[in-house]
Amino acid sequence: MMLKDKLFTDSLRSLKVWRVWLFLGVQDIKARFRRSFIGPLWILINMAFFIGGAGVVYGLMFGQPMNDFLPFLTAGFVIWGFIVSSLTESGLTFANAEGYIKQFSYPKQIYLIRSLVVYTILLLVGLFALIPLQFLFHAFSVVGWIFAIPGVLILLLAAQGHIVVCAYLGTRFRDLPHALGGVLQVLFFVTPIMFPVSILKDRGLDFVYQYNPLYYLIDVVRHPILTGEFASQDSYVCAGLYVFVVWVVAVIVAKKLDSRLVFLL
Amino acid sequence: MKNISLHLENVGVTFEGKCNSQEGLKGWLANKVSGRAGSPATYKVDALKKINLEISHGERVGLIGLNGAGKSTLLKVMAGIYPPTSGACTSLGHVCPMFEFATGFEMSQSGWDNIRIRGLLLGMTPDEIEAKLPEIAEFTELGEFLDYPVRTYSSGMFIRLAFAVSTSINPEILLIDEVMGAGDIKFAEKAKRRMFEFMDQGKILVFSSHNFDLLKSFCERTIWLEKGEVVEDGPTATVVASYVDSQ
Repeated sequence: MMLKDKLFTDSLRSLKVWRVWLFLGVQDIKARFRRSFIGPLWILINMAFFIGGAGVVYGLMFGQPMNDFLPFLTAGFVIWGFIVSSLTESGLTFANAEGYIKQFSYPKQIYLIRSLVVYTILLLVGLFALIPLQFLFHAFSVVGWIFAIPGVLILLLAAQGHIVVCAYLGTRFRDLPHALGGVLQVLFFVTPIMFPVSILKDRGLDFVYQYNPLYYLIDVVRHPILTGEFASQDSYVCAGLYVFVVWVVAVIVAKKLDSRLVFLL
Repeated sequence: MKNISLHLENVGVTFEGKCNSQEGLKGWLANKVSGRAGSPATYKVDALKKINLEISHGERVGLIGLNGAGKSTLLKVMAGIYPPTSGACTSLGHVCPMFEFATGFEMSQSGWDNIRIRGLLLGMTPDEIEAKLPEIAEFTELGEFLDYPVRTYSSGMFIRLAFAVSTSINPEILLIDEVMGAGDIKFAEKAKRRMFEFMDQGKILVFSSHNFDLLKSFCERTIWLEKGEVVEDGPTATVVASYVDSQ
């Protein structure tokens, strides 16, 4: 009983000290690019290469019109990168903060939110890089970006859940990030990122995406941005259900490991 | 005025783990599959056993005991860093721990940013930090090194930086774990003076040390720990005397 209360009050306390986790997150971003000459521009350059290379090849391969396919690919790729971070990099959340956790008495949940801040900033940089591309193809829609907000919130909730699960489990099982990395690599190729859903539908392979919760997480953000309309209701429901399941797991995992965590570091 | 206190009831801390640690998935799976749960030798250490303590507003308490007696563990429980495996520890007041000065840095960031981070983590607000920044920087005497990433610092420089930040806050419950020997001779002298001022500000001070003179000058009350248990708890002079006799 005591334990549950502590986890709950600690989490609440963590949320309240937003200055701390926000600052730590922003510092992490600064640190990531500090020693590089052009800083966060690297994200955009890498993306440009990816789109220019893979985008054109795959677009031709699947016979897609470029002005639809390139923004589609970019959006999917950026969101996918965010999901992957929340499942793999997050395994090191507590390990990276060990020096802080053993020395300062802030609840350790602040480091979980700090991870989300870092991944979210990178996600937003990537997404906003889409805007010039959309202008180029005359496909920009303000309404679409506004309609994407609920989807982004769902995505962030899911990612925070991922981070909780992977940070706790990753501290206990240090090889978890590697294991998940392998699984995600396979998932990347079967999730509609490099190819549109219609290709699967045409070949009667609907099940490939229908049972893939990550597809819905991507869809609720990508669809509105690209089309200017809300994603299908099914997508929101499935993504929401997935978030719920992730958080149930997260609470179970956190409850089990929270009091032992500092001894595992 | 706020009543600041520390209250420990039946606090016990047990460390458990496997000796030849196969902490990864593989070890875990191997155990599950073979059904030989806990087959590698496990260790179990009672770092603290049923500690009952009441420290109230204005008290300055010293901790003595051999290495491994549980002094650091006790301080970490008081700071809320180690959750007690049994019993409960309640603290009223803002806890300021001063434990290690060698860890908890962002290596690729400048000294300035590390000051900001440590300040935040110690409970300062960003405005407070910005206001105190010049004073902290001056105390470190690191000068232009503050502009460099801390990965270029020597261990003594880390200590200066951490010490300067930690002692710049206004502590309520101050927990100190044997940190007097900070830095080179010149800095050590300065640090000592600052430390004394700082310790005077604390509404509650718990302080572990092997330096009896220091204990006598700061603490009216001293607790002698051995093997995770309180051997004696009383006026510093008496406790130190019986501790010295026992050795």
